[in-house]
Amino acid sequence: MKLEGKSKQRILIAGVATHWGSELARALQGQPGVGEIIGIDSSPPGGDLGPVRFVEADIRDPAISKIVPELEPDVLVHCGIVWYPEKGRPSRALHDINVIGTLQLLAACEKTPGLKALIGRGSAAIYGSAPGAPSFFTEDMARRYPLVTRFQRDIGELEGYFDNFARRRPEVTCCMLRFQVEIGPDLDTPFNRYLSLPVVPTRMGFDPRLQLLHVKDATGALAAATLNPVRGPVNVAPDGAISLSRLLRLCGKAVVGLPPVIDGFINRRVGGYLGSADLYRDGELLLKYGRGCDNHRLREEVGYELAFDSEGAARDFARSSGGLPTLFPSPHPGSPVRVSR
Amino acid sequence: MNVPSAPDPETVLEWANTVQSTSDKILRRLAGEYHEDEWGFDEEFTETVFPIFEFLYSTWWRVQVEGASNVPAHGRTLLVANHSGVIFPFDGAMIATAIQKEHPLPRWMRAMVLNWAFDVPFVSFILRRLGGVAANPANLTRLLEADQPVMVFPEGQKGFGKSFADRYRLQRFGRGGFVEVALETASPIVPVAVVGAEEIYPKLGESKPLARLIGSPYVPITPTFPWLGPLGLLPLPSRWRIEFLEPIDLSGYGPGSSEDRSLVFDLSEQVREQIQDAVYRGLVERGPAFI
Repeated sequence: MKLEGKSKQRILIAGVATHWGSELARALQGQPGVGEIIGIDSSPPGGDLGPVRFVEADIRDPAISKIVPELEPDVLVHCGIVWYPEKGRPSRALHDINVIGTLQLLAACEKTPGLKALIGRGSAAIYGSAPGAPSFFTEDMARRYPLVTRFQRDIGELEGYFDNFARRRPEVTCCMLRFQVEIGPDLDTPFNRYLSLPVVPTRMGFDPRLQLLHVKDATGALAAATLNPVRGPVNVAPDGAISLSRLLRLCGKAVVGLPPVIDGFINRRVGGYLGSADLYRDGELLLKYGRGCDNHRLREEVGYELAFDSEGAARDFARSSGGLPTLFPSPHPGSPVRVSR
Repeated sequence: MNVPSAPDPETVLEWANTVQSTSDKILRRLAGEYHEDEWGFDEEFTETVFPIFEFLYSTWWRVQVEGASNVPAHGRTLLVANHSGVIFPFDGAMIATAIQKEHPLPRWMRAMVLNWAFDVPFVSFILRRLGGVAANPANLTRLLEADQPVMVFPEGQKGFGKSFADRYRLQRFGRGGFVEVALETASPIVPVAVVGAEEIYPKLGESKPLARLIGSPYVPITPTFPWLGPLGLLPLPSRWRIEFLEPIDLSGYGPGSSEDRSLVFDLSEQVREQIQDAVYRGLVERGPAFI
């Protein structure tokens, strides 16, 4: 479904005050085919979003079923699925926000006859992290492993509701995006905070294989999927992969490997400190076993061209988080390897 | 009486160069400046540790190789071998080393590795850097579609952990998943028979309490392990023989044939019998295990 070339679309962003909701609102402005942009959230967005119309509403509130149909959106982007506690979204409320919020929003969509597309900003955490997992999860492998963490179960549940809605309303193009871990210089997430620790604790004897999605690609892919939604889930993952040890070396970080006896305790403390709270278990598994996703659908069907691969995103992060003491400076600082991307 | 003469200046220069390039390499790697592919395979790391495998290959196990040129030099290839090892999958490492040393156009092999290996500290990422990938049909399909040479050991854990009394008796070949993928991707199968790997750690029994203690799937008991501690991890210097058999071309079966259960089982059994025969043949050819 191409939105371009037709009359201008009215786009509704649920969860506009979240980082990704605000970024999407900025990215969509002035794009061909985009008409009015409306944002809803329980609190106003932090920064200035220009011409975006803001409506204050909580997606968990049944009143959302009245508000959304009145706004008559052509496209609804659900950015209100949160991965970790944020300001105004404590960890205790995450289940409510993610599952109940999505349910209420879908109920509101049922009452919105003109809706053409529904896009969800979900997470690749639904695949989990397991020792024998496929190195590249494709979209059809979502429930291959039991959903072990609370966040995974929440994501699994809300994707179930999402699928149901897609079946009931075949005229609406429903697209669930599954994002890999984002990385970026100014991004404030538990993973980025983890990389900014003075000494980074890792699990001794393990070196996960990660895919790092650059912030620019994270926003770019979300905007691309909004303008050109496809049916079903889509992995938003970069090309290639990088091991945690290499990422930390590129960043010049001091690393301490934690032996198995104490790592649980330390990880819990570090997880709490980084603000990942209840989702700490997801992070712990990710930093032990890693995860990789296939991105063919994103590149070929959504048609988004990624600007960075995993290594490029790591290098960009390392360069911009510069000023940090580098333990092992490169012996060839001017080499072309160093300056690529 | 021999008086040691001073080394000539050129040798000294060579040493100095080696030292410098080695320290350069170490520093460069510590700065993260090296390449990994999307699977986590690190070619430079593999090349660096290769001399260890070369030593095991030539000196320790005196490996004889038969038919290395049966392995296609390019394109997708599925190597199917019998499995043993008990503690470390040296058979896979030696097949890869044999390709490097005996094949006219060597390639680095990928290996399908048992899931639980990725739960063992250090082994988890070392195997990945050497080209190990978690064994599942999705990974195998993707590697073959990328025209990579891949080793599989269909006996899996049953072969790897079998006791010394069962040596050289091939275990069941699972559900034949490797044949399904080979049919789907039209990859030729090269059966490989490894003789010698069964004697390196003669497993007499296993210890359940120890396994529970260290969280490992099982802990083998051999004449030397765990009695001699880390020294017991030293593999015995048996004599090895690796035979690469003629490739089996599956491209004629066409798409959809992978769903034919009886065809899959027949092919799987055919490969298994070929390997078993070659193992018995190899045992006779090799002669005594240690001398």
